[in-house]
Amino acid sequence: MKRRSWLVLLAVVVGAIAATFAATASSKPAARSAGSIEVLSLWGGSEKAAFLKVTDAFTQKTGTKVEYTTARDFVPVIRTRLAAGNPPEVAIIPRPGVLSDLAKQGAVKDLGSLGISSSYMKARYGPAWIKLGTVNGKLYGVAAKANSKSVVWYRPDQFKKYKLTPAKTWAQLIAITKKLKAKGQTPWASGAKDSWTLTDWFENVYARTAGPAKYTALFSGKLKFTDPSVKKAIQQMLQILNNKYLFGGVQGALGTAFVDGIGLVFKPNAKAQLYMEGGFVGGIALDQVNTNLKAGKTINSFPFPTINPKYDSPMVGGGDLAAAFKDNADVRAFLKYISSAEAGRIWVSTGAIVSPNKQVKKSAYPNLLVQHEAAQVAGAKVFLFDGSDLLPGSLADDWGAVLQNALQKPGSISSLLSDFQKKAAKEF
Amino acid sequence: MSAQAPPLQVPQPKRRFGRSGEGTFRERLNGIAFALPALVVLGLFVIYPAYYTVRLAFYKSDYLFSFTDYIGLQNFKDLFQDKDFFDASHFPPDGAFFNNLRWVVVYISLTLILGLTIAVLTVRVRYESIVKSLIFVPMAISATAVGVIWLLVYSPNPDIGTVNAVINAFGGNPVSWLGKPSTVNYAIIIAYVWASTGFAMVVLSAALKGIPTEIIEAARVDGAGEWNIFRRIMLPMLSLPISVVTVWLFINVIKVFDIIYVMTGTTGGPGTSSRVIAFSMYIETFSGHPGRGAAAAVVMLLLMIPVMILNIRRFKSERVIT
Repeated sequence: MKRRSWLVLLAVVVGAIAATFAATASSKPAARSAGSIEVLSLWGGSEKAAFLKVTDAFTQKTGTKVEYTTARDFVPVIRTRLAAGNPPEVAIIPRPGVLSDLAKQGAVKDLGSLGISSSYMKARYGPAWIKLGTVNGKLYGVAAKANSKSVVWYRPDQFKKYKLTPAKTWAQLIAITKKLKAKGQTPWASGAKDSWTLTDWFENVYARTAGPAKYTALFSGKLKFTDPSVKKAIQQMLQILNNKYLFGGVQGALGTAFVDGIGLVFKPNAKAQLYMEGGFVGGIALDQVNTNLKAGKTINSFPFPTINPKYDSPMVGGGDLAAAFKDNADVRAFLKYISSAEAGRIWVSTGAIVSPNKQVKKSAYPNLLVQHEAAQVAGAKVFLFDGSDLLPGSLADDWGAVLQNALQKPGSISSLLSDFQKKAAKEF
Repeated sequence: MSAQAPPLQVPQPKRRFGRSGEGTFRERLNGIAFALPALVVLGLFVIYPAYYTVRLAFYKSDYLFSFTDYIGLQNFKDLFQDKDFFDASHFPPDGAFFNNLRWVVVYISLTLILGLTIAVLTVRVRYESIVKSLIFVPMAISATAVGVIWLLVYSPNPDIGTVNAVINAFGGNPVSWLGKPSTVNYAIIIAYVWASTGFAMVVLSAALKGIPTEIIEAARVDGAGEWNIFRRIMLPMLSLPISVVTVWLFINVIKVFDIIYVMTGTTGGPGTSSRVIAFSMYIETFSGHPGRGAAAAVVMLLLMIPVMILNIRRFKSERVIT
């Protein structure tokens, strides 16, 4: 071959290799300049918009930019980025179980080393919230937002039409259900395709039928899932979650995702009347699903009713904990900001969250839906963290799958529970 | 006329092509140089990760995917004892493994049949390119987008779901296609077939056009009916392209994950009824058992190997009809 063709060939080969590496290199996240941090969490839609207001205020105050990354399946994303040595600076995690796993692996920094003392935390958070972020005696997570999951959502205009009042006991709830059904309405909608909604149902019912002590034991591995109280609670759930009272029956509910379920009750052609899920439903319904809703007139909530009067109404709730993977001045400033009264005030004024921060005034809550929820969170005599979020490893998803199966095959509950218990025993 | 000049001796280059072919040193170097970038990329991004994964399957491993805690075949044992993965305790057997087999049978046959039918029928039609473009468009959409589209199509709410709206219009009751374990798998398969038929159709259509028209004309002159022509002339001549498409579809279906994840949420179908092997790999890897996830990946690899061997053998022995 002639000399010139050799040179051409060489250029092509080198160019090809260079292009390959350039292509793969550019898919790495751009190196973050000093003065900017990345925060990762699972919120999208209206919840994300609310959080961005907080980060914008932080940037205005300190000049540090905040890049927010949405990751609905945050566990795989965090794990892969950790393995790649490229974790975000801060992640806000809704599962204390996951935070505990990460802390035990040494992936997150303990707050003491970041300059956040326990007295700082005690001034802002009640003991329950501090305990949640604590692993092996050290504090790893700052509670950023809280929500109650013991909330039933309804349409006040429909209740007025059928002369119904919010239920205080389970018997009253069933009575409302039957009356709505008798009048030709579908009483309940459920987003059961997202199995965590079913786990919330279970937790509320279990806390009220078996009591807080058994609840805590169950979700920390000290009580077996084959205990009769578990089956009893599932059967109690099935008094409402069945083909008679659910929109589309059990199969329809299993084919409906969580936000679509909200839409079934609150969109203009409502197909159902009642929806049980956390306090965050209000924000999503008002900002995303149907902006014409009027709090108090066409959307309102009441607390999940009591079942066994002995156990009254424990509040099952969730919370998101902010944890740091790296230590630098920007991260410390961000954590301090997130736990400040100002950030809390800005965030709650969007109506998207309830703040666990003691220093946030009640007057900051903008509409009566979040005011209800905040009152419930603050006034809860017994507060139980969402059980499935406490489960380690893959148990949370597997537990959701068990409940989905239980809904379809009420006769096989015992065998489903014993199979699940075998898995759980290995994880705990 | 005197003696003619001796015939010109054209210098023959020293070259022997063929199996044990070795060109000149320069030619070999050329060949290697052209192949080098691809080999480097393959080595870095395919061969090394494959070795890593296979090795990882024998360890318990941790969140950093390192080789800790050698446990031999324990991961595979755990996998096959997990009822969500492999449940042969009753007939028909359940679990992600068998669900994948169901996918293999239904998905491949549907896609092939549809692709072939459309390829054969559109050849005769004037608006052939319009039809083909329309059928090919779904190939350009990512599996996630396909999942989102069909989620809406299958919605149990008749105001949103196309299928249920049609059923409602005929007076039936809406069916929750994705909420029933008996229909969810077929529903997702249909969505994926919709997305992949374009590929089968395009390959088979090109192969179809490669069949010499004289043969078909001759058959027609001899009085063969259309169906006979299809069965006895076209199909045998298409057998190589069909096997190529089948292999591609098979590999696709063993790996399928994204469309199931999008359409059924994080658990894999009502309960665990729509899980497949790749889904189990995802769940195991990210719930703290990377070793088991790697074992699932090895299972996928083992399933694909026989098909690849068959295919390579076919390529070597068959000759493409020109």
